[in-house]
Amino acid sequence: MQATETVKLLLGIGEPLVGRLLTYDALGMRFREVKLRRDPKCPLCGTSPTIKDLTIHMAGGGACALGADSPGEAMAAAGAPAARPGG
Amino acid sequence: MKTLKEMLAEARRVVPEEGPADLERRLKSGDKVVVIDVRDPDEYRDGHIEAATNISRGFLEFRIGTAVSDPATPIVLYCQTGLRSVLAAKALRELGYATVINLQGGYQKWVQSGLPVVREVPMTPDQIQRYSRHFLLSQVGDKGQRRLLRSKVLLIGAGGLGSPSALYLAAVGVGTLGLMDGDVVDLTNLQRQVLHTTADVGKPKVESGARTIKALNPDTNVIPLPMRITVDNVMDVIKDYDLVVDGSDNFETRYLVNDACYLAGKTNVHGSIFQFEGMATVFAPNEGPCYRCLYPTPPPPGLVPS
Repeated sequence: MQATETVKLLLGIGEPLVGRLLTYDALGMRFREVKLRRDPKCPLCGTSPTIKDLTIHMAGGGACALGADSPGEAMAAAGAPAARPGG
Repeated sequence: MKTLKEMLAEARRVVPEEGPADLERRLKSGDKVVVIDVRDPDEYRDGHIEAATNISRGFLEFRIGTAVSDPATPIVLYCQTGLRSVLAAKALRELGYATVINLQGGYQKWVQSGLPVVREVPMTPDQIQRYSRHFLLSQVGDKGQRRLLRSKVLLIGAGGLGSPSALYLAAVGVGTLGLMDGDVVDLTNLQRQVLHTTADVGKPKVESGARTIKALNPDTNVIPLPMRITVDNVMDVIKDYDLVVDGSDNFETRYLVNDACYLAGKTNVHGSIFQFEGMATVFAPNEGPCYRCLYPTPPPPGLVPS
C-alpha cells in the first residue's frame, strides 16, 4: 500500500491517502477508512506552531512526547484506531 | 501577401505572453495548466520543461484534443525562442481554446533564467521491454516511467514494512532508493522481512537489501545508509530525496520523521502494523494533517508491546 501511494505521488496521478487513514484488519479481512483533519492546535502544522525546528528531539528521552496534550482532533470519525507500535 | 513580420505582429496582438517566472509560479501553484512544447521531437529530447508534453507545431491542431480535454484549461505554449509558439497559440485560439499563453523568450529564456530542465536519455532495449506494461497505462506511459527513473525515495527501515515497499518501488523502476536501517538481519526477521534471506543472518540489513534490490532491477541505484535515523542526521539525509516512506517500528522515530518531513516540505508515506492490523496514510505538508494531528502524544510506555 505504501509503495502504491508512493508511485501515485511520484507520478501525480490518482487520489493519494492525504487526509485519510486506511486501516486493514487481516483477520476480519476488512479495510476501513477514517477521514483525518488538520488540527489547528497542532504544535507542528497548526495555526500557531510551537515546534519550529528539531530541538524538541534533542533532550534525551521522551522527545516525542512533547506537544499538545489535547486528544487527537484529526479524527473525524469516532473509534479511530490506536497508534501501532510495530514497523 | 503578408510578410512573416506582419504575421508575427498580428499573432502577438491576440496572444498574451508570460515570462519564465510566471510559468514557474503557475506550475508551483498546482492550478490546472497544460504546457506544450511545440518544437520537433529531437529538440524536445535534448532538453525540455519537465511539465511539458511534446506536440510539434505540424501536428498541433490534430493532437491538441487528446492533450487538453477542457477548452477552458489554460494552455502555455513554447518553442525555442517564442516565434513558432506564438503562431501556434494563435491557431489554438482560433480553434476555440479560451486561454492560450505564449512563453515569452521560449525555452532559451527559460534556460537562461536558471530554471530546471530535463533531458531525455534514450531507454535501452532492456528498459523498453522491462517497462512495456507501464507504457500501456495512459497514466504512466513513457513520460511517467522516465519520471520514476529520475525519482529518489528514502525508505526508513528495511524491515517488515520497508521490505515490500523496497521490492515494489525497485520493480516499477524508481531510479534511486535510499535504504536506511542500522540493524543486522536476525533469524526472527525472516518470516516477514522479505528483502533478506537465510544466508543474510548477521549481515547489515541495508547490505542484503541492496543486493536483493539490485538483483530485481539493476536500474535502481541503492544508497545504503547503515544507521539509525537521528535528530543529528535526519535533515541532512532527507534533503536529497523527493519523498520519504516511513516504515519505522517505534514512536520516537515516527515523530522525528514526521517533524523533519514537515519542516523540510517532504511528503511522508506513513505505515504501521501490529499483529494482524495495519494502517497507512500520507502526510503531505500543508495539504493535509501530520502525524501529530493524528497522535498529539505517544501512548505511555508499557501500554503497547515493543
